[in-house]
Amino acid sequence: MRRLFGYEERSAALFLAPVMAVLMGVAVFPILYSLYLSFFRIKLTRPNRTPFVWFDNYTDLFTNDLFWVSVARTVTFSVVSVSAIAVIALLVALLLNQDFRGRRILSTILLVPWAIPYVANALMWKWIYDSGYGALNGILYQMDFIDKYMIWLGDQEKTIFLIANAFVWKEVPLATILLLVSLKSIPSDLYQAARVDGASVWQRFVHVTLPAMKPGFMLVMIYETMMAIRHFDLFFILTEGGPGDASHVLSWHIYVETFRNLSFGSGAAMSYVLALVTFALSYTFIRTLGRKV
Amino acid sequence: MARIRFENVEKKYANGFHAVKDLNLDIQDKEFLVLLGPSGCGKSTTLNMIAGLEEVSDGRLMFDDMLVNYTPPHKRDVAMVFQSYALYPHKTVYDNIAFGLQMRKAPRDEIDRRVRDAAQKLEIAHLLDRRPSQLSGGQRQRVALGRAMVREPSVFLMDEPLSNLDAALRISMRAEIKELHQAMQTTFVYVTHDQAEALTLADRIVVMRDGVVQQVGSPDDIYERPQNTFVASFLGNPPINYIDGTIEVTDSSTARFVRGDLALTLTEATARKLADCNGREVRLGIRAEDVDETAQGGEGSVIRGKVNSVLPVGSDQFLGFDFYGEELFFRVGKDLSHRLGDDVALSVDLNRLHVFDKDSGKTLIW
Amino acid sequence: MSDKTLTQPGGIDYRRRQRLARLAQTLVILAGAIVLTIYVLAPVTWLVSSSFQTEAEIVSVPPHWIPDEPTLQNFEAIFSATEEEEITYETRSGQDPASGGFIPSTAKNLLPAMWNSFLVATLVVILNLLVGVPAAYALAKIRFWGRDASVYFILITRVIPDIALVVPFFLVIKNLGMLDTIGSLVLTYLAVTVPFSVFILVQYFEGLPDELDKAARVDGCSRFQALVRVFLPLSLPSLVAVVLFTFLTSWNEFLLALMFTQTEASQTLPIVLAAFTSDFTISFSFINAAGVLAIVPPVIVAVIFERYIVSGLTAGAVKG
Repeated sequence: MRRLFGYEERSAALFLAPVMAVLMGVAVFPILYSLYLSFFRIKLTRPNRTPFVWFDNYTDLFTNDLFWVSVARTVTFSVVSVSAIAVIALLVALLLNQDFRGRRILSTILLVPWAIPYVANALMWKWIYDSGYGALNGILYQMDFIDKYMIWLGDQEKTIFLIANAFVWKEVPLATILLLVSLKSIPSDLYQAARVDGASVWQRFVHVTLPAMKPGFMLVMIYETMMAIRHFDLFFILTEGGPGDASHVLSWHIYVETFRNLSFGSGAAMSYVLALVTFALSYTFIRTLGRKV
Repeated sequence: MARIRFENVEKKYANGFHAVKDLNLDIQDKEFLVLLGPSGCGKSTTLNMIAGLEEVSDGRLMFDDMLVNYTPPHKRDVAMVFQSYALYPHKTVYDNIAFGLQMRKAPRDEIDRRVRDAAQKLEIAHLLDRRPSQLSGGQRQRVALGRAMVREPSVFLMDEPLSNLDAALRISMRAEIKELHQAMQTTFVYVTHDQAEALTLADRIVVMRDGVVQQVGSPDDIYERPQNTFVASFLGNPPINYIDGTIEVTDSSTARFVRGDLALTLTEATARKLADCNGREVRLGIRAEDVDETAQGGEGSVIRGKVNSVLPVGSDQFLGFDFYGEELFFRVGKDLSHRLGDDVALSVDLNRLHVFDKDSGKTLIW
Repeated sequence: MSDKTLTQPGGIDYRRRQRLARLAQTLVILAGAIVLTIYVLAPVTWLVSSSFQTEAEIVSVPPHWIPDEPTLQNFEAIFSATEEEEITYETRSGQDPASGGFIPSTAKNLLPAMWNSFLVATLVVILNLLVGVPAAYALAKIRFWGRDASVYFILITRVIPDIALVVPFFLVIKNLGMLDTIGSLVLTYLAVTVPFSVFILVQYFEGLPDELDKAARVDGCSRFQALVRVFLPLSLPSLVAVVLFTFLTSWNEFLLALMFTQTEASQTLPIVLAAFTSDFTISFSFINAAGVLAIVPPVIVAVIFERYIVSGLTAGAVKG
């Protein structure tokens, strides 16, 4: 008697058709096409010969030193930025969770870094880090921390941290907003109960606030990690992977391989590796959050 | 004008939950039918299936002689009142009431006439320009009723429409809903978990539990002749008392219920039904109000015990009563005062005893 | 306060301690607020300040934090740059060329690029709404076979990194002959915006009571009518959030635009800006002015619609 496709199924199918078509076209098809491409040696400089090479692009990749350098750089960048984002966002969220005059204005101001384009952000930090006239040099010089202007982004040791700083500055607002939500969702009787039990401010923070924020915290860490490992814009504008290979991260490596060496097959293979890493990361993300949808 | 028939209807959800099992029900035209049961018993699912808001998984659902299993709600001639009222927050009261008619393309002046008519009857004519957020709970309830009324549907569905109202309002609305049914001359199906609502409103009550119909009958049937212990327990306040014991049959027209010192002589009519039950373990049900403290009960109709608790409830009082370690509750008059630990003797109305099979819980006498 | 002192044995002492604790709290909050404000605003302020400085002033060591003689010439240069009259450092001022910097010929691309950005963003917004609203309604209110699978499907597309799409996109776009068109951007931006939009809307629709949907349908609405007549009028906040996010994402997008655009026919603002930064001969003050122009519209939008953005961010990000 049961019909698999009743009125509900038919209307749902109709409503979902456009979105499914779009996502098939712009997400699923490309990602599969990319897999297909990664089995060929495609050089745009040699358009007529695109041999099928099985997994050569992948094995080449894993034997390529620069690839492993880029992985190491990406890991450094992600670990540094994500931990900084987590700490700063936690502090800011705790601050904005207090009730004080000017809190509204402060949270509006906080949206500024989130809103500005990444390119403008990059341009701004490039100017701040500028070796000749930048604000960083200016302020450190005026405060006598340095006795001559430094070429900040030219310093192999410091570059990746300076870029991470620019990334953190832009990502903190989003992380803060997400953490604030989990802070706000802590029922106030929990605090009152802890208070009645004689817990100090610090104990209340450790035993009530932190555990309650754990899911929100996980979300922020995973989300920001996903953003960090795929980040491209700052590297393109601030350093172009340099100096040397000091900021040669994976996304930059993919870009160079694909659009400078015009080697699309290995570019596709690499982006596939990146996509798989992201998927693995977001698996937990989907498992924990998909259920609630 | 609609008669609704469920034929072997099943409702299973995708997660495997079996909400309604083998439902067979014939709802007569112009009947006021109440679906009664605890939450999760399948009564709301049944109502939603009538509305078309839930699809029937198996079996046949008929409106008159038409199969409506696959008819979406907007193509069924039903109106519904929801527990939360579900008024459209962005529309005025007028537009809320008119919406159903507009969707059915009724002529504009016809809509206007019917909306104002209904508003008049429900005494909300002065609220027509307001928005739902500006109304009290009782007013919203009336708007929700009005919205269903103007449609003049062939089936009028109500899903716990009174449970969000306060106690006093609930009682007066009951009366109005009953009047509405009389005035509209159409089929009403009403879902509630409130036994008092069911007993006042219904022509027939359907008691459900875990997706299975327990009993269908008039309020009298349901209350006086419950088919099993679930139905017996679900109605009545305080709930019916149970005493487990044995039937002793003397001859075809005399029998006793025995438990320790207690021996109750059953009426002749009951005894005849139990003629072949000698020695059977049964569960005896005595409704709280079916005792009398003042009457001089003869031998074979008295139950004795120690007072455990006294709960005055205004008009009378509930007596908590220790009987072989079990707590029985009886409703007695206020004339006599009791102290904890007193011995009391209550005379039982032997005509109103209920006898159930101890294992299955099914009645042995009705 | 007063009844606390009654119940507290060392009343006065307790009260003093309380007051001290409160004072300390206020100080910590104040300090935190000041540090946060500086952290967020200082970099931007510096950028804005240097966009109002002349070429001569901007290269002073140590830098002038506040312009001595604020000037609008950098902005004028952008707005008056046209095909016919190429503004160079020489035509603009008579200062010493050794101080570096001139207005690039690409300055005239800045305003068209803003227009391209606007056009792309608007089209992406419209398509997002057309595609996202019905999908979100179906996912939130219709219990249909395959619903969970659809939710997971959209969630998965949400986490595909944009850089993983670049190679296949490029070849497809190239084969379609769509390189250097606005269309290629609109199409590819759908990949990075639609899943997010759907989840903002799903979250919102789920917050609207199911009974409202049931009431509408019993009142005679088809699924489509229930969406249009009942849910759409109630979902304005989430629609605003979707418009904002989609618009800002498109306006700010860089990577895909870098791949697919080549000329002013399709170059968006971030591309033109990025081109400035890699040109060492361009005046810093000019670049900064261009940067300020790129920052102003999104920041204004964010400040005005703060409420919607915060709720949308939480809905969309938490759900996807």
